[in-house]
Amino acid sequence: METLAASAADSPEARAARRIADAAPGVARDAEAELYRLLAPRARRYGLRHLRDAHAASDLMQHVMALTIEQLRSGALREPERVLSFVLGACRMTVIDQRRGERRREDLLQRYADDVPSLADLHVAPRLDHQRVADCLERLPERERSVLVLTFYDEQPSEVVGRQLGLSAGNVRVIRHRGIDKLRRCVDAGRRAAA
Amino acid sequence: MNANAATTSHLSLEQLLDYWLHDGDAAATEAADEHLMQCDDCGALLDELVALGDAARAAFRAGAVPAAASGAFVSTLAERGVKVREYRLPHNGSVDCTVAPDDELLVSRLEAPLQGVERLDATWRLSLEPGVQRTRHDIPFDPRAGEVLFLPKLAEVRRLPEHTMEVTLLAVEPGATREIGRYTFRHRPWPAT
Repeated sequence: METLAASAADSPEARAARRIADAAPGVARDAEAELYRLLAPRARRYGLRHLRDAHAASDLMQHVMALTIEQLRSGALREPERVLSFVLGACRMTVIDQRRGERRREDLLQRYADDVPSLADLHVAPRLDHQRVADCLERLPERERSVLVLTFYDEQPSEVVGRQLGLSAGNVRVIRHRGIDKLRRCVDAGRRAAA
Repeated sequence: MNANAATTSHLSLEQLLDYWLHDGDAAATEAADEHLMQCDDCGALLDELVALGDAARAAFRAGAVPAAASGAFVSTLAERGVKVREYRLPHNGSVDCTVAPDDELLVSRLEAPLQGVERLDATWRLSLEPGVQRTRHDIPFDPRAGEVLFLPKLAEVRRLPEHTMEVTLLAVEPGATREIGRYTFRHRPWPAT
């Protein structure tokens, strides 16, 4: 965590956090919006990876950002330049809480729901042309296509997919990497051609 | 200083895939969590990979992508309520087949002597395309299973008129191929109501 704090001390996130902490509570709206724009997608991504549910990830993001802004406004976060560490720690704790089924998250969301900036400004994952992806998948060699289908159908690790196809986990990882790389290039090429 | 510039090196495509698919250990996951909390370039690449995975899943569910699979994979889908239509063909066997309107997955299980086979190809011939032979190379299979499972493009099969399809499995050996099984599917469309 030290690397995170040290490398990000003069980051845009840290500057926005300092502006919020230095202002009277609720006054630095621009800085709050900026901090939200920068950090909310990262918190959401963390939630998606660890909770595997889009709604739960959005809840986590809202909770963590509300908590962060609350802590900055109140001065409880005494080193605003460590905001990245704080957010990552809050993400981790929220996932643990969610797994325990605790309710503090909902309480906080209700208290600060109106203060958290709109989701509308958030970066969202790219939307892909599913037909194009299907065409590109079909162009892949059998082994790569099957590994990708079995991998992504359930987002399974290499060991599980390997057992299902009679391959070693290491082999699945190699095939998976090669397949996704080709798929990505094919979809990109189609997108560029259509633009 | 830009947050992205603060990160000395980016995560590779492979590291991101391992991270997303739970293939790394706890330390690697923690390191990736930390990196992604400050690097939007890697975050955007991860978003792209996740979107590709979502689209691949959607294409497969829509019956638009063929694949080779295993009995365990098909069983998992059936247990989840996916409507599976399965045709099991004995070695060198044939079957009358169709696709019902509510079928969600079509499975061909071809029993074959796979012991000692290292690489498997398959050829396809449809009565609808006389003289045309298609080949699929290097099909994944588990030799211990004694069968090869194909999941054809259900959406495409559903549109086809009555026809016959012949599938030949070929063991690829140094300098030659050896036929290890031949199977015939006699397809009829689901009767119109």
